[in-house]
Amino acid sequence: MAPSLCAHCKTNRALILRPKDHSKLCRPCFLTTFETEIHHTITSTGLFTRGERIAIGASGGKDSTVLASVLKTLNERYDYGLDLILLSIDEGIKGYRDDSLETVKRNAEQYGMQLCILGYDELYGWTMDQVVEQVGKKGNCTYCGVFRRQALDRGAARLGLTHVVTGHNADDVAETVLMNLLRGDLPRLSRTTSIVTSTPSLAADPAANTHIKRSKPLKYAYEKEIVLYAHHKNLDYFSTECIYSPEAFRGSARALIKNLERVRPSAILDVVRSGEDMAKLVPDSDEGCGRVCTSSVPAAEEEQGGCGSAQGPSSGGDLATLEQALSSDDRAADAALEIEITTSSIAKRTAPLPLTVGKSRKVPKAPNNTRKQPKKQVMGQCKKCGYLSSQDICKACVLLEGLNKNRPKNHIEVGYEPEKEATSVAEAVKQLDVGAG
Amino acid sequence: MPGKQITDVVEQLCRRCTENQAVLVVRRDPLCRDCFVRYVHTKVIKHMESFRVRNADPNRQRKLLLALSLGASSVTLLHILDHLLETQTSKSGRTGFGLSVVFVETAGDASHQDRLSKVRQAYPDYDIASLPLHDVFRLVPDQESLSGLLPESATVEELSPADKLVTLFGSLTSATAREDVAATLRTRLVVEYAKSSGCEGVLWGDSTTKLAEKTLAETAKGCGFSLPWHVADGETPFGLAFNYPLRDLLKKELVAYVDVVGSPLPSLVLDSAPTQASMSSKNTTIDDLMKQYFESVEVNFPSIVSNVVRTTGKLKATLTTNDAPACDLCSMPVSDGRFGIHGWGGDQHGIADPILASSGRRLCYGCTRSIPSTTNPTNGSA
Repeated sequence: MAPSLCAHCKTNRALILRPKDHSKLCRPCFLTTFETEIHHTITSTGLFTRGERIAIGASGGKDSTVLASVLKTLNERYDYGLDLILLSIDEGIKGYRDDSLETVKRNAEQYGMQLCILGYDELYGWTMDQVVEQVGKKGNCTYCGVFRRQALDRGAARLGLTHVVTGHNADDVAETVLMNLLRGDLPRLSRTTSIVTSTPSLAADPAANTHIKRSKPLKYAYEKEIVLYAHHKNLDYFSTECIYSPEAFRGSARALIKNLERVRPSAILDVVRSGEDMAKLVPDSDEGCGRVCTSSVPAAEEEQGGCGSAQGPSSGGDLATLEQALSSDDRAADAALEIEITTSSIAKRTAPLPLTVGKSRKVPKAPNNTRKQPKKQVMGQCKKCGYLSSQDICKACVLLEGLNKNRPKNHIEVGYEPEKEATSVAEAVKQLDVGAG
Repeated sequence: MPGKQITDVVEQLCRRCTENQAVLVVRRDPLCRDCFVRYVHTKVIKHMESFRVRNADPNRQRKLLLALSLGASSVTLLHILDHLLETQTSKSGRTGFGLSVVFVETAGDASHQDRLSKVRQAYPDYDIASLPLHDVFRLVPDQESLSGLLPESATVEELSPADKLVTLFGSLTSATAREDVAATLRTRLVVEYAKSSGCEGVLWGDSTTKLAEKTLAETAKGCGFSLPWHVADGETPFGLAFNYPLRDLLKKELVAYVDVVGSPLPSLVLDSAPTQASMSSKNTTIDDLMKQYFESVEVNFPSIVSNVVRTTGKLKATLTTNDAPACDLCSMPVSDGRFGIHGWGGDQHGIADPILASSGRRLCYGCTRSIPSTTNPTNGSA
């Protein structure tokens, strides 16, 4: 078979089969097309303003590395006039994050960008390794996600800027759409499909970390094309996945997305489109009123940072938890049990589980009014740390309180190093030996 | 599966009546035969409340059309509605509604007609019509837009309805496109038949599981905008109401019902081969994938299945869509006339005139993925 020519320039040999629409392109045309599409996303949504300082949430992985590279290219090519800074969060996971941070440091040099690294230990007094030691591998992703969300905002505030871009791609968004349908979370469905999310400014205190805009310029870019772009541009990225357990729910949705992509390559984009359209159908959403309501940008406080490391069909970890919660709700509703039972089961669920919406219609009316209508989130400030939150105490502070409560009585300093601990234990054992002998 | 459950519950008493031996476990409760049958009937009749005798005008019989596919679900629905009408007659001497039945044939399968005649024998009181799918090219009033979907080379005027259907399917490039278009046309045919036979609503036999499949499948096809009309009970843009009386019953419960009730049901249901995704993704359809996915979720996580359906039911169609222009294929209103796959963020090209780009056809985003474009062959999905 004769080699086919690039569908775009019609001169070079086509080397790349675009995952998105199966068109055949040569290497330079693929790179330009990919960049032009991101440029289109940026300009058509008016994502940036001239002179804006922007933090790129950089993990050293393929998505954020490609994002940094493309933004640098476009900033120069189209003269956006942006000041780009890399912002990395050090979760404190040995054998994973320390290596990927080395990649980010190299990227900073390669792209000539300023780099700011902020650690969980510095912010919260806990590294993820310590959290896992305490809570076990199961459910630690909740901590990591909640902590990371605030960490990026705090890092942005520290850098004195108000806009963070993240490397979420079309596959991530499509996954989130399916995942939120599966767990029945409409408010979050309507929030996560938006390209820009923001924590609306409370204005009162400029020092608070509240008015941070988040956006995902790669929202419509296929994961496979990001990998191809990184490969053909010889980008330096880190590809090991997080060593702790993946989110089972996301894994289940991810497997489904990959299967859909095989059947119809456009399916990922189609799910994103459906998600955007459905966001307009969610009652009480900002999208529903044609964006003329008070806040035109969805709040993003509780959006969970999927670490995107899940793979394969899930073992069903939190599927089972949700199933249990839902079926006990159903049983309560069928039996028309009294309110004490339903409310307590709700209270119990708030921490580890996504809020479920579907509830009984048979439950007695009067004392239950607050639960009847899906609560419209009212944003306030966390009483402990001042971070924007719909609750009195923000999620991170709640989690921290739990962690600190169980911390051993003998206080461990922030500058804690496991090696020292190990040697002192060894010494203690030696002394014991001596004592015994 | 029901058989396995029966062996599991030997020696257990029914949790509802606490008298009889349980025959199977339903949502963690062991139930006896009678209580299980009552459980299924209650769930169905709850959704037929508005068609009770006391709500019926004695001078004007309301007529409903049941769409029969000869699967376990729709056959069960027919059986239960027959039972409901019989009860209504014996209690009050009249019924709350009249029932017609329609079956849409798929070409080249004769086994259907055999089952269908058995259904006619078992339920002789109803008018059970059987229509070929190509009748959609006869019954739909707006033939022009429907024929516009055929490839441009086709000389539409000379083709019979059957030939039109063959030509249309011949132009579709993937298994999933063929299945998606067939399902859409089936819905439109049922709607047109309902209208022509004076029915004010259509009863669909979709179980909870099927509705959950549909939710995710429509999402995956880019048709998320039309979900409120495909999953919820009530008025639709077709100009009549859709109702899903089996919406609270899982597929596995309906399969068990057919077994438990016994004759004549098992002989009426077409055997559906267990869903097995084809090894080649070329022959797999999006519907297959979702069916497989929820069949596995249903086994251990039934509440998640029903939660998907309940959640989708909360989506509200926006007011403006009621007078929006409709898609040529699925007939759903497209808000702002945003036809085709262009003219939104994910398009990333900025084509100025979306209508022009969709080559004169007025197709919604999702249907554009199925019908190959005549002007821009690179845009079709493989």
